[in-house]
Amino acid sequence: MSKKKKRMVKGIFFYVGILFLMAVILIPFFFMITVSLKTAREAIQVPPTILPEELTLQHYRDIFDTSIFPFLKYFKNSMYVSVLAASISLVFGIMAGYALSKLRFPGRATISNSFYCVYMFSGILLIVPLYRLLSSVGLYNRREALIIIMVVQTLPTSIYMLKGFFDTIPQEIEEAGKIDGLNYVQSIFYIVIPISVSGIVSVFVYAFMIAWNDFLYATIFLSSADYFTLPIGLNALFNRPDYIWGRMMAALVTSVPVVVMYAFSEFLMKKGTTEGGVKG
Amino acid sequence: MNRKKERIAGFLLIAPSILLILLLIGYPMVYNFIISFHKVPVNPKKAMQAVGFANFTKTLTDSSFYSALGVTVFFTLLVVVLSTAAGLAAAILLNRRFFGKKIVKALILLPYIVPSVSLIFAWKYMFNNTYGIVNYLYVDVLKLSERAPLWFDRPASAFALVVLFSVWKFFPYAFMSFYAILQTIDKTLYEAADVDGANGWQKFKVITLQEIRPVLATVVTLRTIWVFYMYTEIALLSGQVKTISVYLYENAFSMRDMGKAAAISILLFAMIFSFIMLVRKKVFRYE
Repeated sequence: MSKKKKRMVKGIFFYVGILFLMAVILIPFFFMITVSLKTAREAIQVPPTILPEELTLQHYRDIFDTSIFPFLKYFKNSMYVSVLAASISLVFGIMAGYALSKLRFPGRATISNSFYCVYMFSGILLIVPLYRLLSSVGLYNRREALIIIMVVQTLPTSIYMLKGFFDTIPQEIEEAGKIDGLNYVQSIFYIVIPISVSGIVSVFVYAFMIAWNDFLYATIFLSSADYFTLPIGLNALFNRPDYIWGRMMAALVTSVPVVVMYAFSEFLMKKGTTEGGVKG
Repeated sequence: MNRKKERIAGFLLIAPSILLILLLIGYPMVYNFIISFHKVPVNPKKAMQAVGFANFTKTLTDSSFYSALGVTVFFTLLVVVLSTAAGLAAAILLNRRFFGKKIVKALILLPYIVPSVSLIFAWKYMFNNTYGIVNYLYVDVLKLSERAPLWFDRPASAFALVVLFSVWKFFPYAFMSFYAILQTIDKTLYEAADVDGANGWQKFKVITLQEIRPVLATVVTLRTIWVFYMYTEIALLSGQVKTISVYLYENAFSMRDMGKAAAISILLFAMIFSFIMLVRKKVFRYE
């Protein structure tokens, strides 16, 4: 086989690979979108239609109609939990990440390593004691319980990522600030944070995403529908006998905030910084 | 003097994080340990009764504990291996220049960043018994079966689907990590291998695999912990897949046997802990 021919065959294999990968990723999203645009009857038609025969935006109107579905209320709850959890995780993360990256103090290596151990206590492991402890201080059926837990669950990764970003800041820049008389807090605010904006945004997005998508802790702690976040609110809707597929699929708009934020942080990241290896 | 200042600043800045973790991870873990030796009344105002090792013996003599453990180990093995392999394959595939790369790279992340609940609706719809596209293709188009299979209602196919879903949902994470490290590999290594007449597999084994080893170890370790504890996706997709996390949740919140549930989580922790220790030893040996 000539070299040119070999190259062409390789190229074809490559694009077949890419197409296959994209198909695997996107097929479920294709159905979400098409079903959300189909009428309720067409969604359960046999044989199924691939593209909607009759386009409708009714389901999108429905989910924003507060008399049909409290989507906006759930959305607000989710926002409240996720924004606060991500912000607190970020503030603590910046402080700890800065200390671990730039300051020398005894026990630094041990502390840095042991933050990783928190992973061993993630997810389902501590549901019993957390449920009992937080309930006993009156946080049962409070969104604040969720916030606290999401902060702790995202904190190790936030610290680790931020430490990684801070490590890339040359010592000289900060030293120049020191000479100008900046103390540590001023140095964080005037030098470290402005330089690491893209990294800081990506940490916020990471923590926001974990909190926004959480289902387990929300089911455990939130009992009244007034406080439901989107994941458990949608699931409750799905488990009713009168659910409509189109409406469930239109709930895809749930993912809009995370997708937009993710795209934004990738955009900021585009130049320069190489991503740290680990993201939750 | 300056040194002392630096030390104090370091402690002060790290203290809030440490306190928070001690309060919400350390203390609950100790409390969990205490609960596991007690019978916990449903009414939180009533006191717990010490019962010694009863919760542990109850768990360890429960046959569903062992079956759940078996399902979980098999599940974890499959999901971790498959999602890591798929992520690595995708990262290698994309590790070159081509038209539309940015879009492809962004789209790969979709399953990972979109909330599971929405994704699960789509999967349930596609695999619906009567009007799902999968059964339509399977029965009516490809004629592989006379009757439509009930994908989510039978343990074996439900298990396979939950594995498939989890691989689909989590391989982008492995992809991101591998893609980042592949960028850092020195291209001249491959050129030198080409000169020596190495084939693709040899290059992969000798160069790629060696270079990505630290990331591979991290991805596998973290993913193993997460998949082992995974609850949401398994519980929402099908009631038929009884993993250890589902077993724990049911004991805690359906049967309201918090003592037993605490004992289960202690046992789970012991398993994950020994796994980590084992892996760490292995990884350190390579270095």
